[in-house]
Amino acid sequence: MQDCKVSAGGIELGRSNCVSAIAFRGDVSGLPNQDFEILALPLLDPLYNFARWLCGDADEARDLVQETFAKALKGFASFRQGTNFRAWMFTILRNTFLTSRTGLEWRRTEQEDEENFEESAVTHDTPEIALIRRADTEMMRQAIATLPLAFREVLLLVDIEEMRYQEVADVLRIPVGTVMSRLSRARKQLREYIVVTLGVKHEM
Amino acid sequence: MKCEWRQDVSLYVDDELEPARQQEVAAHLRRCAECAAAVMEHTELKKAVRIAGRQFSAPPELHAGIGESLRSADVRPPLWRWSFVVLSIVAVAVLGFVLFSIPRRINPEIAELVDQHITTLASASPVDVVSSDRHTVKPWFQGKLPFSFNLPELTNSRFTLAGGKVVYLGQTPGAELLYEVSKHKISIFVFQARGNERAASLSNHNLAFTVNAWSQGGLRCYLVTDASKEDASQLASMFQAANRI
Ligand SMILES: [Zn+2]
Repeated sequence: MQDCKVSAGGIELGRSNCVSAIAFRGDVSGLPNQDFEILALPLLDPLYNFARWLCGDADEARDLVQETFAKALKGFASFRQGTNFRAWMFTILRNTFLTSRTGLEWRRTEQEDEENFEESAVTHDTPEIALIRRADTEMMRQAIATLPLAFREVLLLVDIEEMRYQEVADVLRIPVGTVMSRLSRARKQLREYIVVTLGVKHEM
Repeated sequence: MKCEWRQDVSLYVDDELEPARQQEVAAHLRRCAECAAAVMEHTELKKAVRIAGRQFSAPPELHAGIGESLRSADVRPPLWRWSFVVLSIVAVAVLGFVLFSIPRRINPEIAELVDQHITTLASASPVDVVSSDRHTVKPWFQGKLPFSFNLPELTNSRFTLAGGKVVYLGQTPGAELLYEVSKHKISIFVFQARGNERAASLSNHNLAFTVNAWSQGGLRCYLVTDASKEDASQLASMFQAANRI
């Protein structure tokens, strides 16, 4: 369930469960499909891109996006106007992914992923700016692809979708602190990949 | 050596610091080569990820499939849709007539902006950047306009952002931001303030629209809507608050 702030007169009253707040809003008339189209169609490419990075397969990504749009259209009557539509769409896509075959498989193994990562992580404090400039797009893609999914999705939402940490936390249903630690690990691992691939010994 | 400010570098690059802290870090970067290099490195990495990560676009058959499923889910009968179109045309014609039959004593700029608002409503693609997210809409204008402005946070308000586009008032480029409130549309126009600023005279106009005008922080803003006066002034004050420094 997505967390959101409830406030009045600028004072935060607390947190409530947005999904149930949406569902019981009482407004069942819904918004015209045209409004949905206007809001959702520009997100088609970003959602598909994210889906491809999640499941790594064109057919699966296509199905995932199709299902996301179907679910979103159905649920659009209950989408609360004034809230973040893009985050809402990404949340639906991500939740749909979690129930897919690849998503279930990932959830079964994600724990191992994170543990393995902890062990092999190398800290790079010195900027690798010259190396990053030498890394071409293909190498960067491979570097992103080697990231554990839990880190990759945070990195992509922050750096590609330019979401705020809080938005990412809402979409992935994790604390903001976790967003930050995964992001920094993701970036560390990218640096490591670049250093190793370009065959340069890292010297402190 | 590791500078104690280094922990803020990634937050700084991700624009996640409070504005005051962001400025402190920016000031520190002018003094500390270590942190400045770290910021450059973070920025390069972020850029590299963005370029490499935007790899896939939806295949044409997915575009087509989604378009089709949206159309087939559309339950409105065709007759209703046509009557809607006809009504829209009639409404725009009537509004246009109201507008042009209004004595010219209203400020011609205001008349032009109301006209622009009507044109936007009648357009098949009312805005060029379609997004309800101010973090998408605001950067879209960067490089397109010689000035910048902030957009209000709408979470927990009744207003939604539909998007925006660049408009011209005479030769002057500006932004039109389209908002919605209870099915009514609101346009906010933002231009750069001129040297000889004179508050637009809005008194006693007979327009079918509510128009608010204000100047602040080098910006000249106009709000045009057929929503209630209360909604108009509420959104206007939210916009003003967002641009108050
Ligand atoms: Zn420093």
